[in-house]
Amino acid sequence: MTEDGGAGRTGAPPLVVLEHITKRFPGVVANDDVSLELRPGEIHALIGENGAGKSTLMRVLYGMYPADGGRILVRGQEAKIASPRAAIALGIGMVHQHFVLVDPFTVTENVILGDEDGAILDRSEAERKVRELADTYGFQIDPRATVEDLSVGEEQRVEILKALYRGIDILILDEPTAVLTPSEANDLFGNLRELKASGKSIVFISHKLDEVLEIADRITVLRRGAVVGETKPAETSKATLAEMMVGRPVLFRLEKPQVEVGEPVLSVRGLRGEGKLNGIDLEVRGGEILGVAGVEGNGQRELAEALIGLRQPEGGTIELEGTDIGGRSVEDIRNAGVAYIPEDRHEQGLVLDMTLWENVVLGRHDDAEFSGSGGVLFIKKIKELASRLVKLFDVRTRSIDVYASTLSGGNQQKLILARELETDPRLLVAAQPTRGLDVGAIEFVWRQILEQKGEGRAVLLISAELDEIYALSDRIVTLYEGRITGEFPPDAAPEELGVGMLGGVREEAVG
Amino acid sequence: MATVTAAPEQAAPRIRSDRLERIAGQALALLASLLIALLLGAVLIVAYGESPAQVYGAIWEFSFGSVSNFGYVLAIATPLIFSALAVAVCFKGGLFNIGVEGQYLVAMVAAAWAALNLDFLPGGLHVVGVLVVASLGGMIWAAVPGVLKVKTGAHEVVTTIMMNGIAVSFLAWAVNFPLKAQEIPAGQNVDLRTDVFPDSALVGDIGTTFGVSRGAHLSWLLLLAIAASIVVWFLLRRTRLGYEARAVGSSPGSARAGGISIGGTQIKLFLISGALAGLVGMQQILADRGYLGLNYVAVLGFTGIAVAFLGQNNPIGIIFAAILWAVLSRGEVALQIETEVPREFVIILQGILILSVVITYQIAKRRLAARQLQRAGAVGSLEDSAAAEDIEGLAKEDR
Amino acid sequence: MSLVDVAVAVQISLTYFTIIYLTGLGGLYSERSGIVNIGLEGLMIIGTVTGAAGARFFADAAPDGLGWGAWSVAIGLLFGAFCGALFALVHAAATVTFRVDHIVSGVVINLVAIGLARFLSATFFDGQATQSNPGGPHLPILNVPLLSDLPAQVGRAFSGLSPVVVFAALLVFPVWYSLYRTRWGLRLRSCGENPEAARSLGVRVSAYRYEGVMLSGALAGLSGAFLAVEEIGNWREGQTLGLGFISLAALILSNWNPVRLLFFAWLFGFAKAIPLRLDDAPLINLLPPQFINMIPYVVTIVAIAGFVGKVRPPAAAGRAYEGGSAI
Repeated sequence: MTEDGGAGRTGAPPLVVLEHITKRFPGVVANDDVSLELRPGEIHALIGENGAGKSTLMRVLYGMYPADGGRILVRGQEAKIASPRAAIALGIGMVHQHFVLVDPFTVTENVILGDEDGAILDRSEAERKVRELADTYGFQIDPRATVEDLSVGEEQRVEILKALYRGIDILILDEPTAVLTPSEANDLFGNLRELKASGKSIVFISHKLDEVLEIADRITVLRRGAVVGETKPAETSKATLAEMMVGRPVLFRLEKPQVEVGEPVLSVRGLRGEGKLNGIDLEVRGGEILGVAGVEGNGQRELAEALIGLRQPEGGTIELEGTDIGGRSVEDIRNAGVAYIPEDRHEQGLVLDMTLWENVVLGRHDDAEFSGSGGVLFIKKIKELASRLVKLFDVRTRSIDVYASTLSGGNQQKLILARELETDPRLLVAAQPTRGLDVGAIEFVWRQILEQKGEGRAVLLISAELDEIYALSDRIVTLYEGRITGEFPPDAAPEELGVGMLGGVREEAVG
Repeated sequence: MATVTAAPEQAAPRIRSDRLERIAGQALALLASLLIALLLGAVLIVAYGESPAQVYGAIWEFSFGSVSNFGYVLAIATPLIFSALAVAVCFKGGLFNIGVEGQYLVAMVAAAWAALNLDFLPGGLHVVGVLVVASLGGMIWAAVPGVLKVKTGAHEVVTTIMMNGIAVSFLAWAVNFPLKAQEIPAGQNVDLRTDVFPDSALVGDIGTTFGVSRGAHLSWLLLLAIAASIVVWFLLRRTRLGYEARAVGSSPGSARAGGISIGGTQIKLFLISGALAGLVGMQQILADRGYLGLNYVAVLGFTGIAVAFLGQNNPIGIIFAAILWAVLSRGEVALQIETEVPREFVIILQGILILSVVITYQIAKRRLAARQLQRAGAVGSLEDSAAAEDIEGLAKEDR
Repeated sequence: MSLVDVAVAVQISLTYFTIIYLTGLGGLYSERSGIVNIGLEGLMIIGTVTGAAGARFFADAAPDGLGWGAWSVAIGLLFGAFCGALFALVHAAATVTFRVDHIVSGVVINLVAIGLARFLSATFFDGQATQSNPGGPHLPILNVPLLSDLPAQVGRAFSGLSPVVVFAALLVFPVWYSLYRTRWGLRLRSCGENPEAARSLGVRVSAYRYEGVMLSGALAGLSGAFLAVEEIGNWREGQTLGLGFISLAALILSNWNPVRLLFFAWLFGFAKAIPLRLDDAPLINLLPPQFINMIPYVVTIVAIAGFVGKVRPPAAAGRAYEGGSAI
């Protein structure tokens, strides 16, 4: 099967072959009989939704996880890759989504760490080598700069240089554009083309279809741990890819309840803060879901946290039914009727080391219903509430006495929903409410959010998933660099939204 | 509503086994540590040419052999209970108060001042006043790192270490200058110390009622310590402050998003901790010696950390941990009288015990966490790759 | 107060400097590798008692002519350093291998050291649990060339010094070089800043951390042995007087930098010398000596609270790495 010396790019023997890779975690099959080929000098995109198993598969290849089944061939030889070190020795490098750099070290020190030339460091020689390497591939970087002073895009270049310095010819990039601005992403693509031209093979993990179509030579689509298809940009379209990724034309369409849109519940005017919010204006009415679409890192998190009181606005007003709540404490804002589904359930939602019943009253534990004026908790009442909510929201658990850490992600999110919605809020701020959830849990969360609208409550939905924005929103606004860059009806074309999400520079041209 | 209550009832047996598992795991860890300490100790004893059974027997005898002996043990345990409680209160809120050491030194100075100057208080109120002033002293000393932590982010471990250093000098100054003894009998050469406190400032003996010898100095401070344990347990488990403390301790972000003031909670915890720390030295100066000298018993604060760990920061567990520690300390006397092994041997025993406890608890905790996660994976659905990675990591580390 | 007093105070300060600097450098290696070490005081204590024992045993066992003398002192110093490193192994095993919280382990180290020192003392020194036999020889003294010849008795500050003082001061060069100019130093620091990054590049984080912690034990042990054997000449319980914690304070203020540590170690050493020699100086004579002793601690609190400058510890120091939470 393997031919020696095939020089041509197409028809060349594959550099890496993954055969029937299966990777299980307890209770989860992350990769189910996945096979994949990587050819020399190609950019191979691995796409799929969050949790589809892309990163797991590549971590198996990079030696971070042992596979439970299947085998890996590198240059025709079967390889046992037990550690990242072994992977690097085979010429495989990986850049993770979260960079692992030593901040106070210089670029050079970061690059040579672990692979220094001798016991005594020759700094100028090392710097020369790093500069030479960067120049070879057209990387703009100062080898003497300290990493903590670099931009995210530059840090990514350091990560890639680290791999190149070790002489790899297979580079795995895990969601490389997730943290980049559009112009940084453009630079990255330039670098990748350069690498490809010099014969390196690249695996590009992503769930962004536009960039995949732009950069990839071949595309493999994963869904729920299995390969659903392989294609080329020229032979496919965004719609087809999206369909392959989610498994049906649209994930699912839920009936939006028809309710009369009421008075404005939330009005935000000129909200500013920490350089991340640069004058946001928006309004949500009762019985309405406002979807805030945008690429992550454009102020979504800051917006949500300012609304619930976790961040102090530096300017502008936040009014809830006419009362200014801007800059008030979380406690006050919650009491005024704002509920919050945080983007990160572990960091801002649950106390994992406390029981379900304790988590159910977090934020309401000082209500007269749950604790007396002397500060003693009414545990019986809290447990009653917890039992009721666990039942009502179908939280799958053995008991309300177990720690929240023992729940699966979907059930943790249900618990948060139960707690937040129980308070009969005026406004629900939902930030990335279905992140990391499986389809069943997503549907449950969506139904709950739509139900809020049905009850006449106002919902501000912040999401990076367009599916979600479309499925739930009555109106859509786009957020870019801390500003609202456009407002759209729920049936606006994704292309129109895309323009808004990239700053709306061409807004006039479109509108 | 019958259906609502049905679910937890069905699950009850599984849960009990969960809890049992946690308690059993900790008990096993403690037992294993004790065994390790005793075994290594036995090796040492044999090296001294003595019989381990005899030496350990002597330690047992001197702790439990008579009411009086047990009285001695309880008297040693009394300050340790306060000290460990002070550590545990902060610990539950995610704070490490290693400044109990300094807090109790300052509190002893405050108490000595009160004992010598508040004698106008009628009857039993004098000693109460002394205890209150001691607690206030501890609170003031604990408030500094608390406020600095909240206002400036200064790490409490560093600030409390420094406050300890200041406290040592503060006590030395107090005994050298403002509180220096005036009424030293002529011709008597005594260490630097304060005057002897009036009787009304001393805490009463309770040991003699039960046949404990007066020399044990078993005082009603023991009852106060046990009461404090119960109060701390109630505070942590049954009150709003305790709830907030535990939330802040395990997940500051979630606590804040739930409207809890992190800084406010932390300062309250430091104050409570300081108040408890203030009582640590009272057994020594109010029940035992009756004055404050430069030759005070040191490191009760650090020992409290060890005891808190032995008791897993559980207020009730701490009582037993303090007794266990005291049994070993009491063993010093046993060794001196009954054996040729140097009395300092028990300190080694304590050292090995606490070292192995720290390590075995850590191992037990990780195993338990891994098992729990594994179960969550089994119950949960496919999406949980994050949890799954955690399991993978833990499994890897356990190898 | 006269110029001579100042000169003598400086001379005394150099002794304290030596103790603080050696111990501080120990803390520096440990914390640069990512392991917080508040057990420095305990490691010093081990150094004092084992150092004293080492010197005595050598003196007793040595052939005639050697006996009590410079050789026994040198052996004592080395033995103290060795035992300090050995004892630090406990901290390393607890924090690195068993991932016990660094602070907890450090506290335990301090606590156990006090007991162990007593026990060892009782074993070594004829049942004397709290002190060894008094008196002992010293290393030949050194006069710093040129400086010791300064006029008006100022030279006294730099006369009659123990060689260990000079050794400690000169240590700044190899320490700095080892941290910033060698492969080993680069890797050690990377373990303290970002162990995940280090490990992903094949650096054996655990090994470097063991080395960092054991070096801290060796240096703190040497420091303790210097105090007991060379400076005082006998062992007494509690003779470290919290100097381990002052070293920690100097380390923090130095921003974990060996060159700046040089300055802070001396500054705190001088603060220690003030009540001994300069208690009648203007302003100082208004303060009781105990208040002077508080200076290092107060300065550190003020600094750590961010009122002056900013201290930045190694990013990963104190963090139990490889997933799990710290405590």
